[in-house]
Amino acid sequence: MAPQARIGLITTVIAFFAGIWLFLAPFIVEYQKVGQDWIDATKNDLWTGGALIAISALTLILFAAFALHDAVRAAERKSAETEE
Amino acid sequence: MAKYVIGAAGALLAALVGAWLMLAPFALAYQGSGADWADPTYVDFWTGLPLVVISVIGLILYASGLVEELRRRGIMPRPYATPAGQPQEAPGNQGANATGSENNMEQILLPLLTAMLKDMQERDRERDGAHAGTPNNVQQTRSAGEEGSVRR
Repeated sequence: MAPQARIGLITTVIAFFAGIWLFLAPFIVEYQKVGQDWIDATKNDLWTGGALIAISALTLILFAAFALHDAVRAAERKSAETEE
Repeated sequence: MAKYVIGAAGALLAALVGAWLMLAPFALAYQGSGADWADPTYVDFWTGLPLVVISVIGLILYASGLVEELRRRGIMPRPYATPAGQPQEAPGNQGANATGSENNMEQILLPLLTAMLKDMQERDRERDGAHAGTPNNVQQTRSAGEEGSVRR
């Protein structure tokens, strides 16, 4: 894996944690009182945070899956070369 | 290769989400224009701005990883490609860099030196041919030929 991609993965992980923060922020910062109807800001933060979590998680999972796929193909090619 | 495309797409979407977060308080009007910023506005703006910056950095990194991969597979040419006859160095082979750059210099200078040599030989041959008809200048021609020319 290229070193740039490793740092790119770190930025995706940071985006994932930003999504979790957004999801929890209305209750941590207390602009949303528990038990009351959700205000517009809370709804926006929950939807945006949820979307960010989903995007980042999906990116991480798919990246890992394709990286494993590439690694398996490289290993197969290497073993085929050594057999020849 | 697909992993870099997915990473870049994810980073682009995260950057768009960050941009939306910066605009949302004003777009959804839970922040009145001209009024002091409320807590949700602070949270959204100061989460959105770093998110945009980080995601753009991630996008650039994934894109550069993709470009590197394309160059490694030979799909995209390298900006400073080595000459066709010279074997390419392995990316991790840092120790041989000095020798590699010397070889590059030799490869660049070799055609120039060959052309110069050929030119000098042609000039010598022309001079020999011109003076061959005049017997008085045979000695002079020989000494002139020996002076600055390269002979095989």
